[in-house]
Amino acid sequence: MFTDFDFSVIFSNLPYLFFDGMRFTLMLTALATVGGVVLGTLIALMRLSGIPGVSHFAAGYTNLMRSLPFVLVIFWFYFLLPYVGQWVIGASRPIAVGAFMSALVTFTLFEAAYFSEIMRAGIQSIPRGQVSAGYALGLRYWQVMSYVILPQAFRNMLQVLLTQTIILFQDTSLVYVLSITDFLGAASKIAQRDGRLVEMYLFAAVVYFAISFALSQIVRQLQARTAIVR
Amino acid sequence: MNYNWNWGIFFEASPEGTGTYLGMLLSGLRWTIVTALCAWVIALVFGSLVGVMRTLPSRSANWFASVYVEFFRNIPLIVQLFLWYFVLPELLPRAAGLWLKQLPNAAFWTAFIGIGFYMSARVAEQVRSGIGALPRGQAMAGKALGLTTAQTYRYVLLPMAFRIILPPLTSEFLNTIKNTSVALTIGLLELTARARSMQEFSFQVFEAFTAATLLYLLVNAVVVTGMRFLERKVAVPGYVAMK
Amino acid sequence: MDRMIDIQSISKWYGPVQALKSCTTHVAKGDVVVVCGPSGCGKSTLIKCVNALEPIQSGDIVLDGVSLTAPKTDLPKLRSRVGMVFQHFELFPHLRVLDNLMLAQEKVLGRPRAAAEAKAVQLLERVGLIAHKDKHPGQLSGGQQQRVAIARALAMDPIVMLFDEPTSALDPEMVSEVLDVMVALASEGMTMMVVTHEMGFARKVADRVIFMEAGEIVEDADKEEFFGKPRSPRAQQFLSKILQH
Repeated sequence: MFTDFDFSVIFSNLPYLFFDGMRFTLMLTALATVGGVVLGTLIALMRLSGIPGVSHFAAGYTNLMRSLPFVLVIFWFYFLLPYVGQWVIGASRPIAVGAFMSALVTFTLFEAAYFSEIMRAGIQSIPRGQVSAGYALGLRYWQVMSYVILPQAFRNMLQVLLTQTIILFQDTSLVYVLSITDFLGAASKIAQRDGRLVEMYLFAAVVYFAISFALSQIVRQLQARTAIVR
Repeated sequence: MNYNWNWGIFFEASPEGTGTYLGMLLSGLRWTIVTALCAWVIALVFGSLVGVMRTLPSRSANWFASVYVEFFRNIPLIVQLFLWYFVLPELLPRAAGLWLKQLPNAAFWTAFIGIGFYMSARVAEQVRSGIGALPRGQAMAGKALGLTTAQTYRYVLLPMAFRIILPPLTSEFLNTIKNTSVALTIGLLELTARARSMQEFSFQVFEAFTAATLLYLLVNAVVVTGMRFLERKVAVPGYVAMK
Repeated sequence: MDRMIDIQSISKWYGPVQALKSCTTHVAKGDVVVVCGPSGCGKSTLIKCVNALEPIQSGDIVLDGVSLTAPKTDLPKLRSRVGMVFQHFELFPHLRVLDNLMLAQEKVLGRPRAAAEAKAVQLLERVGLIAHKDKHPGQLSGGQQQRVAIARALAMDPIVMLFDEPTSALDPEMVSEVLDVMVALASEGMTMMVVTHEMGFARKVADRVIFMEAGEIVEDADKEEFFGKPRSPRAQQFLSKILQH
């Protein structure tokens, strides 16, 4: 069954696959995670703020992003960003936004909706008495959030946040629809150039599996260590 | 903004010659719904089986189910679809592979099977947690009455477990619908693909994608409403649901 | 300002439910006032209004001359001068004991780290828990946590201390270790308002006792009068039941 296949194509292209493809994938994952968590936390705070316009906007944004397929959102931002850039800078024509920048903005804004739901659950799980105690000491809203609530919320939701990061890592493969060279894109390019679809796609599957599985095992180990004793 | 708005584009004939752009989008919607439903059937059937296997006392069943779930969970959906579509035909005996490649609507078959198995792993996890949420005594009571393991699952555990997991299962079904869009990479002409085509032919980017967005939101709303109705219908009187 | 806390005819609603009905009372400087009453009478609500943790819909509370409802009042600043101890301790579980005491000193009062730490150490010694300064709250018993909570409130050098059922969540054996700290505090002249069921404590240390029921102040008398011959029949009934133990 495997006699027709030439797996050496994998080894001869390792530098391209990993230094171009995987590097893009990992950078996108890391940056979008950081941006997504920060933005997501802000959105969660907006949603919980109780200020009508603000919380409705946050809820609407979150619900919209979670209702649409990621592929559609990728297309949306790909076509929208040049016009937004034009409006922001005041240029005369839509500006050219690079592939990486477009992907980064898309992923950050999309995943922020998911991170915000996680952070919202985390914040709501903190007993109300903690907020009262913070205020009773004279701390102001941002101080109570920064020093008392958010540190606890993060620690409580760490496992879920990291799991979402692993999902983000897998989602990066969808930049394929824009022909961007992430890890899958690189594997695909070689597959089509050399006619080695089976070898490259099997290899891609194995690599994604190995990384995702390893990360999820690490997350499982982490849980035991960071639980806060109440 | 250098963009020519033309909301009337939907009623203009599409260059494919088969009707209007609106018709094109609606046909895409049809493929989305049909693919999602077929995939969901696979997801439910296999997911329930594997989920139950995770809770059985048999070590080999547990192990198999774990491997199954980890396999489908750790490989991105698009890669899985490529494996089904490009790799599987090559690994089968010549004749079978050839037949697969020449199948009409190959993209559809690949899509719903691929998405179905991908989602089945998530359904399996939901079923497992649903069964796990039931009090230990339920299975014991079934056993005490003389029910076999199969009967205990069928008549005691699963009916309650499914009611408990109805909300997260609804989310998974919505995910299934969203995931059909990934199949555009193997040529399925679902809604997002058609919106993209419309954009490529007519250059009316925002009209095309707005329509697709609204259609997805509409489908979402219908599913959520339907599920709420279902939840009320199957609710057990007096039982406080897990929160 | 003889009156540290002046509660002037305050009313408070939670949605359609009226939790406080035109309550008027005061706490003089150096006084210890105990608030008691059956469950749901509004005593916890009352004390939470004193440091504006809960808003009031009518009436006013004047704290050391500052009105809580005046629009220009800086509430966080006011709260930093009022110490509060909660029924469930509410220590910050992710911070060490020492950091629990230092956080508000540094962020609200702007004290430098060294000064805040010195103060924290002094207070922990005072409540007898200096050995636990580097532990996390989850590693301490309930009584120990509550004593740390008292120290945390005292670290802000408050002008008045509020206690919301400080011993209700404690195992019986630990109640006295907390009450001892409170008695010592009272004897040093701290103005205190204490919501509690511990009538022994009230008898020993209180200057006045307030009895509430259904959102109203039913009895507001000096200690001797309250325990000797309360005027209202409801208070008499309450006392007879509670002093049976």
